Amino acid sequence: MPVWLREYSWRQTGSAVYLSLPLRGVRVTPANIFCTDQYLKVSIPPFLFEAILYAPIDETNSTAKIGNGIIFFTLYKKEEAMWDSLTIENDNKEKLQYLRENAVLKAHEKAKEETEAKKVTKQEHKKYALEATMKLEEAERKRIENLKEKERQKVTKELELWKKQQEDAEKQKRIQKGRELHQEVEQLKERKKEKMNKTRICNEGTSETRLKPTKGCHGSYSMFSENLKEEQLPAPRSAATIKINFTSRVFPTALRESRAAEEEEWLRKQAEARRTVSADLSELEDLKEEEKNPDWLKDKGNKMFAMGNYLAAVNAYNLAVQLNNKLPLLYLNRAACHLKLRNLHKAIEDSSKALELLTPPVPDNENARVKAYVRRGTAFCQLELYTEG
Amino acid sequence: MSSVPSGLERPQLVAHVQQPLSYTLFDCKWVPRSARLLCLGSAARGTGVIQLYELRGGRVELLREIEKAKPIKCGTFGATSLQQRYLATGDFDGNLNIWNLEAPEIPVYSVKGHKEIINSIDGVGGLGIGEGAPEIVTGSRDGTVKVWDPRQKDMPVANMEPVQGESKRDCWTVAFGNAYNQEERVVCAGYDNGDIKLFDLKTMSLRWETNIKNGVCSVEFDRKDVNMNKLVATSLEGKFHVFDMRTQHPTKGFASVSEKVQKSTIWQVRHLPQNRDVFMTSGGAGSLHLWKYEYPAQRSKEDSEGAEMGVAGSVSLLQNVTLSTQPISSLDWSPDKKGLCVCGAFDQTLRVLIVTKLNKV
Repeated sequence: MPVWLREYSWRQTGSAVYLSLPLRGVRVTPANIFCTDQYLKVSIPPFLFEAILYAPIDETNSTAKIGNGIIFFTLYKKEEAMWDSLTIENDNKEKLQYLRENAVLKAHEKAKEETEAKKVTKQEHKKYALEATMKLEEAERKRIENLKEKERQKVTKELELWKKQQEDAEKQKRIQKGRELHQEVEQLKERKKEKMNKTRICNEGTSETRLKPTKGCHGSYSMFSENLKEEQLPAPRSAATIKINFTSRVFPTALRESRAAEEEEWLRKQAEARRTVSADLSELEDLKEEEKNPDWLKDKGNKMFAMGNYLAAVNAYNLAVQLNNKLPLLYLNRAACHLKLRNLHKAIEDSSKALELLTPPVPDNENARVKAYVRRGTAFCQLELYTEG
Repeated sequence: MSSVPSGLERPQLVAHVQQPLSYTLFDCKWVPRSARLLCLGSAARGTGVIQLYELRGGRVELLREIEKAKPIKCGTFGATSLQQRYLATGDFDGNLNIWNLEAPEIPVYSVKGHKEIINSIDGVGGLGIGEGAPEIVTGSRDGTVKVWDPRQKDMPVANMEPVQGESKRDCWTVAFGNAYNQEERVVCAGYDNGDIKLFDLKTMSLRWETNIKNGVCSVEFDRKDVNMNKLVATSLEGKFHVFDMRTQHPTKGFASVSEKVQKSTIWQVRHLPQNRDVFMTSGGAGSLHLWKYEYPAQRSKEDSEGAEMGVAGSVSLLQNVTLSTQPISSLDWSPDKKGLCVCGAFDQTLRVLIVTKLNKV
């Protein structure tokens, strides 16, 4: 049971009520005070003070001053009027209860509204901030683009200039060449000497200025310089062959570091498969030497398959598998036979076994894997398990 | 020691022209001493295409289109004189042809050099660069590398082929180097199993070989016509190696530094003709990276037995740009204008780029 605080004093003006509530020996925080527009409560366990006010007040503007052992409330009235008393005289417990609940509800709603309003403002702030950053980034990007564009234009202009230079130089050279050619034709003896000089000069000339020679003017000129050059060039090399060896590689594909580990594994598996022979079957003694070789059996099976004798092929593969159950090709081929025989479940089994054995995936066994998938898929489709297929 | 400039001080790769083409472009080359470029490729109907473009204004204009029987994979102007400017091409059938572009109906030189596609071609001794006889080297899928002299018909002057019975590996790239006087020549070849082999043509022997663990897509010396200085080899899986070729150790070979760029293949490397320490690599993701090599303080040192061993320097990235979603398979710098380069990608587009600020690098 709470201890009711009944000692309080109040006075009023037309617009406000001043209420002082002494609290001895307890610490008051704002959380202990609860106020709606017609209900005031101070609850500091075990003390409790509540008042159902005579008339509504403006509780947003009303204040509570927490002093030393006393709370001083300044409550602004909603309507200017003099109150007969602070609280409504009401012994009706139910009414009290109802009023209390109402008050609480009202407070809740107010709180909700406040949070909503806060949220909305927060959103707006965020949006604003985002827009601002976007604008900044856009500006930055534009600046860089502009710089790049300027760079590009500058460079384009330079290129054009260079081209023009080239063309001008070319025209000049052409005129010069014409003149020189005439000179050559007239003086025969001096020609050789002049030519020698000219080749040197003109060669230097060509390396300095950018020149595209035209066929017409150059015909005779180039012929002469060519002859000279021929004398300076060494004879073609005497033919020889160099024999080379390559770093060995089993796979026909190019070497990649990332695939090297997988390829190693595959090769190891193949090597193992060749070696394992699961013997100790009494029936083996009946068979000839040939028939013990799984490869020979595989070939036999292939032949049968080609001839259309699928049952015999299956038998051959079965025996081969008994001898060596690590060769994926056996399962693969047996799967094909089963497909033909419409033993679809067996086909699926065999293709799956083959795929298991064909890990890790390397380009080498890609063909085999493709076949396995295709056969398994066909079997599933024929079983109408299309999703599996 | 130059430091890598930052931000907008770095060289910029400016896309100048983009030209869509109607065929698959395999190789593009500048015509020396001009603003013209050549595109080599394969048309949809399975014939070869040679197109000659000129850079005019902000566009390239088609000057000439030549169709050939077989698709053309690669071409070079390296072995022809400046006056003649004949184009040597290798096609899908293994034929090496040298064309006079003014009269392209009949080749000046033709030989069925290989049984399978010629993957890569290089020329040396022409264009006024280097000394010695003009020679062309071709590398093919049949595993052989052959050196041809245009004055000798039908027979190669050098043939690097696998030993009898050895299974062949694809030769993916070839390059000439060390052609600083009339006798010296070296051919470097890269294969799909990661082998790099260096053949000395003067002594007709295998001078060095190594394996870089990934198929070798492109090799290039920084200069063909000097004492061999650096060799860059690019490979699958986004790696490239720069070898310092000045010092060969008897067992360890050449020192190298390697970089991994990205996961995709590096299709081409090309050194800037005007600065041999700057090179560009083109990648399978449609990107271009511009690199600068810095030499170490000492290029060679002595190892424990007293033999000379090379010291590799370091490589720094100057700039990179992504131009396309498809691999950029061919790249060529213009030998006349510093920074002008052309690249061709598998999205059937030809792009002319200008690289700025190379003077400050």
